[in-house]
Amino acid sequence: MPSDLLRAHGVTLGYGTRVVLQHLDFAIERGDFLGVMGPNGSGKSTLLKAVLGLLKPLTGTIERIGTNGKPPRFGYVPQREQLDTHFPLSALEVAVMGRFGRLGALRRPRREDFEIAHACLQRAQMDRFSARPYRELSGGQQQRVLIARALAGEPDALLLDEPTNGLDIESERAIMELLLDLQREKATTIVFVTHLLSAVEHFARRVALITRNGTLLIGEKPEMLSPQSLARAYAEGDA
Amino acid sequence: MDLLTIPFMRHVLIAGVLVALGLAPLSIYVVLRRIVFVGAAVAEISSAGVALAILFQLPPFSVALVLTVVTFLGFSRAADSPRLPLEALIGMLYAGGSAAAVLLIVKAPRGEGDILNVLFGNILTVPLPLLWGMVVAFSLVLAIQYLAYKEFLIIAYDPDMARALGIRVALWNTIFYVTVGVAVAIAIRGVGALLTFTLLVAPGAAALCLAERLAVAFAIATVSSVAATLGGIFVSYWFDLPTGPTIVALLSVLFAVSYAYAALRRRSS
Repeated sequence: MPSDLLRAHGVTLGYGTRVVLQHLDFAIERGDFLGVMGPNGSGKSTLLKAVLGLLKPLTGTIERIGTNGKPPRFGYVPQREQLDTHFPLSALEVAVMGRFGRLGALRRPRREDFEIAHACLQRAQMDRFSARPYRELSGGQQQRVLIARALAGEPDALLLDEPTNGLDIESERAIMELLLDLQREKATTIVFVTHLLSAVEHFARRVALITRNGTLLIGEKPEMLSPQSLARAYAEGDA
Repeated sequence: MDLLTIPFMRHVLIAGVLVALGLAPLSIYVVLRRIVFVGAAVAEISSAGVALAILFQLPPFSVALVLTVVTFLGFSRAADSPRLPLEALIGMLYAGGSAAAVLLIVKAPRGEGDILNVLFGNILTVPLPLLWGMVVAFSLVLAIQYLAYKEFLIIAYDPDMARALGIRVALWNTIFYVTVGVAVAIAIRGVGALLTFTLLVAPGAAALCLAERLAVAFAIATVSSVAATLGGIFVSYWFDLPTGPTIVALLSVLFAVSYAYAALRRRSS
């Protein structure tokens, strides 16, 4: 029986007085491969930010359950488009940022941090591009570098925001297979937000569906991808 | 090299190099963080602070420093509102600061030339105490830039990732803006608003046109900033030109060449 990594109790999420998601009661299990789906603007990224601890709940509590008295570490993979390509950084320099949380304040990354980052690039099949400028890489390659960056922090869970956005079908499949391998190898917990039914259908083990009225349905894939559940989430079209 | 035998020119050279060295690494972040015009607006606010201090016979540098740092801190918390882009606020601060400086100075009990020097700084008239102040301030700025490299990089590049890693983004943003505020305030006092603004933008902009690595960009910005400043001082001396605008002109040429080179390289690749 897998233990929980995170539990949300009666959570409401939003910005200021604007409520985006409400009545959230759910758990993320260790070793889970959870796909989060929902209509555009339904609050998928908001949910991810709350799980990461970047957004405090308006009401309720989110409990992060670590091991040995330490809170769990989350490796965050943001939407690729959020990152500014004006920064002249190599793939390795981007990947090593994943180590920054493990270094103390005012400590610069050491050789071993670069070695770990390089090993993570290798795991993401990007080691031969480690010296290449990140901005010159293709979308799929950039996504792999960002996954390597998240892995470099040696996280308990990977949280990915639209990891296949803007990728062709082949790159999309390759990224999802990489995540699947990571999950199988070390039972890394993976939570990914997507608007693509195909990614969830083929790769996720459990599914969280955000409905149009801002609530969350969460469960096993067959149940969540049933016409009834999908109809509840996408009630007014826009699937 | 007879220029080096003139005592006040030695001050000019030292002041120029100090300001160029101190602002060069900041210029990379100022450009990357898209706060170029915050620098211009803050320069005007700083001038208004000096004018206010002169009017009420307060220490000009202290008042300018406080106003500059407070304004930068305000920007560190500011964001686009649903009704108004941040750019409009920067524009209004620039206009308001300029107007306040002029209006306050009209009533100030000092001679016009003296006021202009205090208000806008003049690289030719940097006094020894200010020179020592620059040594201390810019040494601190450079030390903080070096030590907090990873914090300043990640809060600029990916603040959400930084928060997820447990890095205190608000704290490091505050430290960054205070650093820039102190550097800008002392630079304006020493070499004037126009040269300060240019040194806060041009070396970083030129370096980012040329560099593929951040470390290289910092190196190019530093070398080009110092070289253009020294070049401008020598050229202005030999051709009897005003020093500040000559340095600004050289930095503008440097940027134009870098920009053109980057455009040509992009087209040929």
